Amino acid sequence: MHKELDQNVAGVEREELEASGSLGVRAVLGASWAVFVKDLRTELRTRYAINVLVLFAACAAVAVSLGVGFIGLRRTDEALLIQATLLWIALLFAALNGLSRGFVQEEETRTMAALRLAAPPLAVYLGKFLLNVLLLAVLEAITSLLFIVLVRVQVGSPLALIGTLAAGGLSLATATTILAAIIARASFKSALFAVLAFPLIVPPLIVAIQSTAAALGSGGLPQAVPALQFLGAYSVATFVASLLLFRFVWEA
Amino acid sequence: MVQRLARLGKLLIGLWLAGVAIAMFLVVPQYEGLGNAGRIVIMHVPTAWVAVVAFTVSAIFSARYLWRRRPQDDDYALAAAESGFLFTTLATVTGMIFSQVVWGVYWNWDPRQTSIFVLLLIYAALFALRAAIDEPQRRRQLSAVYSLFAFVTMPFLVFVAPRIADSTLHPNCAFIQGSQCDGLTLEVGKIGLLGDRKVQLLALERNGDVVTAQVKVSEPGLTAERVLSPSFDLVHEEMVARPEFPGLRYQLGLEAVDLEANSALLNIEAPGTGLLENRRTLFTFLAAIIGFTALFFWMLSVRATLLGVQWALAQRAGGRL
Amino acid sequence: MSGQPALCNPTSRTPPGRVCEHHPGFQFLCYNRQVETRLTVEGVAATYGARRVFADVSLELSGGEVLVVSGANGSGKSTFLRLLAGLQRPEAGQIVYRCGGQALDPRDAARLIGWVAPDLMLYRELTGRENLRFFAEVRRLHLDDGAIEALLERVGLAGRGDERLATYSSGMAQRLRYAYALLHHPPVLLLDEPGLTLDERGTAVVERVIAEQRRSGIVVVATNDPRELRYGDLLLRLGT
Repeated sequence: MHKELDQNVAGVEREELEASGSLGVRAVLGASWAVFVKDLRTELRTRYAINVLVLFAACAAVAVSLGVGFIGLRRTDEALLIQATLLWIALLFAALNGLSRGFVQEEETRTMAALRLAAPPLAVYLGKFLLNVLLLAVLEAITSLLFIVLVRVQVGSPLALIGTLAAGGLSLATATTILAAIIARASFKSALFAVLAFPLIVPPLIVAIQSTAAALGSGGLPQAVPALQFLGAYSVATFVASLLLFRFVWEA
Repeated sequence: MVQRLARLGKLLIGLWLAGVAIAMFLVVPQYEGLGNAGRIVIMHVPTAWVAVVAFTVSAIFSARYLWRRRPQDDDYALAAAESGFLFTTLATVTGMIFSQVVWGVYWNWDPRQTSIFVLLLIYAALFALRAAIDEPQRRRQLSAVYSLFAFVTMPFLVFVAPRIADSTLHPNCAFIQGSQCDGLTLEVGKIGLLGDRKVQLLALERNGDVVTAQVKVSEPGLTAERVLSPSFDLVHEEMVARPEFPGLRYQLGLEAVDLEANSALLNIEAPGTGLLENRRTLFTFLAAIIGFTALFFWMLSVRATLLGVQWALAQRAGGRL
Repeated sequence: MSGQPALCNPTSRTPPGRVCEHHPGFQFLCYNRQVETRLTVEGVAATYGARRVFADVSLELSGGEVLVVSGANGSGKSTFLRLLAGLQRPEAGQIVYRCGGQALDPRDAARLIGWVAPDLMLYRELTGRENLRFFAEVRRLHLDDGAIEALLERVGLAGRGDERLATYSSGMAQRLRYAYALLHHPPVLLLDEPGLTLDERGTAVVERVIAEQRRSGIVVVATNDPRELRYGDLLLRLGT
């Protein structure tokens, strides 16, 4: 009996059985990965978001370097705080320009309907979220390197800096991905994105700036732990809220 | 019957708030050092409280909308956000006036100022979002999601805000239990910090029952130093002279003296400290909070009803809203 | 028998009389054309902004039936199909898909549906094959290259699968929409302006697809083209 059936399948498409329950975890993760790969491929072909992000970061780093990159700058606590603030301003504004791309593009090319019919909502969210995390990682790597080279930022504790950048970037991604999905359905998309996102990312921004300043100075990894905990908690809370709320955005 | 009750309720709220306004000037004693400006606190704190209540109510109705998808719930969420915005603005403005009169600055990124500023931004973002979506069902749904999502991030703001500025102008001793108003014990000649003000106890001089301390005070960002002389009555165990810090309405109090150890307990007395210890003030204060909360809920129901009527009319006309 | 659920496989053609029942993913029973799919529309109304386009539409369809929806421009043909596809919520009324008698959750019903419409856009930066592969992956269908090639051939795009959509003509894009809609063998096919920008051979593809689908599944066609009106067994006229 079993064999007969297999012959009937005759080398054509086969449904993954665990996917038949509409919310199988593996099925959703597999679909998320497909969305991520599709977006990455599209991004590599158009290079829209990455161009915006990198150019923005480069402009910001050069502008900052022209202003405060002179050799004689003393490394006081205030100077470190200012450098950290400038770094995060550059990251923030680059992110607010590039991170909405994933959803806005679906809306602008009107591919949203095709995706809605085929993909589970969670898979769409997770796929786009992964791409945003990747974009932010690239952005942070480039921006901080530019700051180190052009602005002569000296890093006291590289480990603490990397941890802070990673946790801060994660907070940015969790907070903004669902907002990107929201503004994709509205008009004045790009302006609205910054307006919606800014008040929500004030808390992680403050913590990330302070922790970055400490990492530039002499503060080691142990000193960065409370900030990392805070950023982690913020990421988890906004991520879980996004998972719960995304369905409503996607169906709107 | 219901209508009559509603009318009665409306009248009651009006009378109640009128009473609060009168009590604000007639019942509440003028607090030392604050002058008449202190009375604005009776308005300021309740409006700030209502701002928080409104934000919560809006989030609750947003969740209900997503749950049941009834337009009425969205009307309530929007009405709560609108009244909340109004009260938030009121709280900000009254706070700024008070701050300017008493402390000489309109704004100093005090934790609570930061929180309320972010709250204003969130409301503004919510209205901008609603304005940017034409399709009513989508507008309701997306703004409900944003409102809930913003609500989730608020606790983090409350937690993080105190890290922005070390000092607060808000008189925590008056309103918040457990805040640090313990003061500072100094031996003669030693230097210490009260808030972010550097103080040095220069000398203690006894004159009969009254001990006068000579304290050198320097403000952060100020080069000028001043010597203040607060004093303490040993017999009655109470402060006598409480000089003000230069340029501020804060006072320096000498709260206790240990002549054998040659040390003294110094503390900052914020104007408004102990304000609520006065019974009449406390009751006026509570009445104001009740009144403003009732006012908010009344505004909420009126505005939500109005929004419902508007929507029904638009649907009947077949036009676009 | 460990292979039991395999009976519910979309492509395993169960011998008549055999019904596999009560599997957690019971909606897939409907892929198996032995189990009947029924569509019930009850008193549905739709609005466009605050403007009501139609109200109180009720009908019932079962496997093997073709419904043609027609009506003047702006009468809500496309909106009606979007409602059936679950892309939009009706202002009033209910749309229920039943599978072997059991009503499906609207979210699961989306998996039964193949939708072709002028609004349906696929990814311009990807090739035809990459598009189909992507949609197969998010639907968790494991299609090999042969299956995709066969599908491309079926809609008349054989040999054009490795070109990007940006270079496709509008007729080719329309053909690819059919491939997208047929990818998962949906028991319900919703066709909005099915012949749009198609040439003679494209029209033949559409006719073949409808003929195959009507053997067991449901087809809903929204059109005003007199040639396409005759596809239908049933006619719904909107805006009268």
